[in-house]
Amino acid sequence: MKPVLFLLISFPLLGALILALIGRYLSRRAVETIACTTVAAAFVLALTAFLLSGQKAHSVTLARWFAAGSFQVDLDLYYDPLAAVMTLMVTFVSSLVHLYSVAYMRRESGYTRYFCFLNLFVFAMLVIVTSGNLVFLYLGWETVGLCSYALIGFWHEKPEAADAGAKAFVVTRLGDVAFGIAIALLWINIGHLSVSGINDGAAGLSTQAAGIIGLLLLMAAIGKSAQLPLAVWLPDAMAGPTPVSALIHAATMVTAGVYLLMRFFPIIQGSPFVMAVIAFVGVMTVCFGAFAALVQKDIKRILAYSTISQVGYMFLAVGAGDLAGSLFHLISHAFFKSLLFLAAGCVIHALHEEQDIFRMGGLRQRMPQLFWLFLAGAASLGAFPLTAGFFSKDRILLAVFLQPQAVYKIFWAIAAMAAVITPLYAFRLFFIVFFGQPRADAGHAPAPDSRVSVPNLMTWVLWPLAVLSVFAGFLNLPVNWAGNEWLAHYLATVPGAAPEPLASPKLESAMQMGSALITIVMVIFAWVYYGVRIQPGENGETTFQNKLHALFLNGFYLDRFYQTRIIAPYRAAAGFLWQQVDAGWVDAGLDQSARFFLTLAERLRHWNTGRVSQYVSMMVTGFTLILCGLTAAWWYFQI
Amino acid sequence: MTIPFTHMLSLAILLFVMGAACAMTRKNLFMILIGVEVMLNAAGIAFVAAAMRWLDMNGQVMALFVMTAAAAEIAVALALIVCIQRRTGSTHSDRFNLLKG
Repeated sequence: MKPVLFLLISFPLLGALILALIGRYLSRRAVETIACTTVAAAFVLALTAFLLSGQKAHSVTLARWFAAGSFQVDLDLYYDPLAAVMTLMVTFVSSLVHLYSVAYMRRESGYTRYFCFLNLFVFAMLVIVTSGNLVFLYLGWETVGLCSYALIGFWHEKPEAADAGAKAFVVTRLGDVAFGIAIALLWINIGHLSVSGINDGAAGLSTQAAGIIGLLLLMAAIGKSAQLPLAVWLPDAMAGPTPVSALIHAATMVTAGVYLLMRFFPIIQGSPFVMAVIAFVGVMTVCFGAFAALVQKDIKRILAYSTISQVGYMFLAVGAGDLAGSLFHLISHAFFKSLLFLAAGCVIHALHEEQDIFRMGGLRQRMPQLFWLFLAGAASLGAFPLTAGFFSKDRILLAVFLQPQAVYKIFWAIAAMAAVITPLYAFRLFFIVFFGQPRADAGHAPAPDSRVSVPNLMTWVLWPLAVLSVFAGFLNLPVNWAGNEWLAHYLATVPGAAPEPLASPKLESAMQMGSALITIVMVIFAWVYYGVRIQPGENGETTFQNKLHALFLNGFYLDRFYQTRIIAPYRAAAGFLWQQVDAGWVDAGLDQSARFFLTLAERLRHWNTGRVSQYVSMMVTGFTLILCGLTAAWWYFQI
Repeated sequence: MTIPFTHMLSLAILLFVMGAACAMTRKNLFMILIGVEVMLNAAGIAFVAAAMRWLDMNGQVMALFVMTAAAAEIAVALALIVCIQRRTGSTHSDRFNLLKG
């Protein structure tokens, strides 16, 4: 097991190192080959590890990292069913995205930098997933943040891309700080930093300690996974290349937060309050993302908000204690969302970097293959019956509904309401882009009847994703569909993985029927509202409808809130400290005292006549005065 | 016969003031040096006087130390004066005012 796991994480690192050190001397073909081969090799190794490991947990120590007294950190790996599923998903999606990038980035000049960071990202993500202790995990956690920053700002000559990269980095950093504190608290309270040690010691934690550590871990997860209230960075992160959005900001990195919560679930389980908070954050984010996605115009922003919303479902599932459901949705989301992003990349590419969906339209005839691929992704996102998204989302809703506490019933109601909106925005996007008349008012669009061509490679890699988006439900087919819930059983040995939700088959079937019906109705509604009619433009009136539209379009003004309530006061305070305190007091005070001594020296220099006899006279006079003073004092005190 | 303590102290003060006046007023480096020597010897006389007054040998020891220090000082000072004279061709103290403010 040890060599397999070692090679698994070192292959992408090797690729990144080669590209970083000698990539500039290699041909484009060689760079692409190295990047794709190393990640594909990682996928093969992940598959090998999955087949070899069975359901056991493997702990492997590669080397001593550092030691300070009793505090020792090793580079160790921990491989259990949870890590197995994640490594498979990460390496599989990244292999496809690497292949896709070869075609997508074929005209870009910074390809060495691009592939280097993409490989480094895969390495860091695998470190997060397989790390056996928290410090090593933190290394991966920070490295994915770095890669995310570098790849969002890939077109760094564009100011908005550079700003978006910095924003993502700074906002996620808020969570990382909490993570750092959580690591310190875990070390103090449990005395272990290994994954197995922490999960074994979690039972010994007091409810209070578990609550504080759980909340800090939640903060970390919120930052990385772009949940409320730190969701603002993800829509802006779409300034990066589309494959990056697909890999990092949809399929893998944003799910790292969920993975963290699943990995340390025994701690979270120790505090019912934290569970409820996680579910609350999740359900709020589900609504936030769904409403914002409903009215966006930019195809990538729609997908970004829907990512925020779908990751919210995963949080909700963790909050409801259903790890298997959370992981199930994570996997199916990884498939359909990377599919949707990559397909959107094809559309954008074909229409010469056009991202506004209202300037697309009628692509069904022009890109027939992409039409079916996109349909598969949209159906799965919209939880259309029998797709992967249908089963995973239903399992989550059911798990929330089955929680005994009353508050979870409210969560269930809100999440179900958001689940009504999901197919609406998914199919709104689909219908507007692929149906209707080509709205070629963007003069550069090709003639309506011509077929638009994108490189074949870009569509080929979508097929496996499309197949999995539709059929990944079989991974965890519910019992009432004659399935055996393979994923849930496979995860049974993971610490904290809860037993099956004890639903009566009747209830389960009823809920599935209900959601299937609602989804179909919403798809028809989307067809009537968006497919047939052209979207009504804003008429500039301040009606309630337009206000609501603007509210959703601007992401509930969360950005503006931070801008005015946090960033602006912070800037004002920083400006005050700089201009008033630092420049006004500290610097000016030092300048003033320096000027005083300068003046003093200017006055005193005339005493320095350069005549030795005068110096002697002064010295004698001075001594005489001192002696007189001493004598007077002695005389005075003597009396 | 013994010389009264006050007489010896008066002589020391007189010599000291005369030496100081010489060092302060003369411009020739040799004369300044002689003034300083006179002041040092005045201090030596005061030490010897004190040794006789309190019958303590430490005063005489100190006088010997003063003489030693004076000998060393005069050797260094004369060397400096020779050096200065060679460089500037003069032993007038006001000619050396490079550090004038």
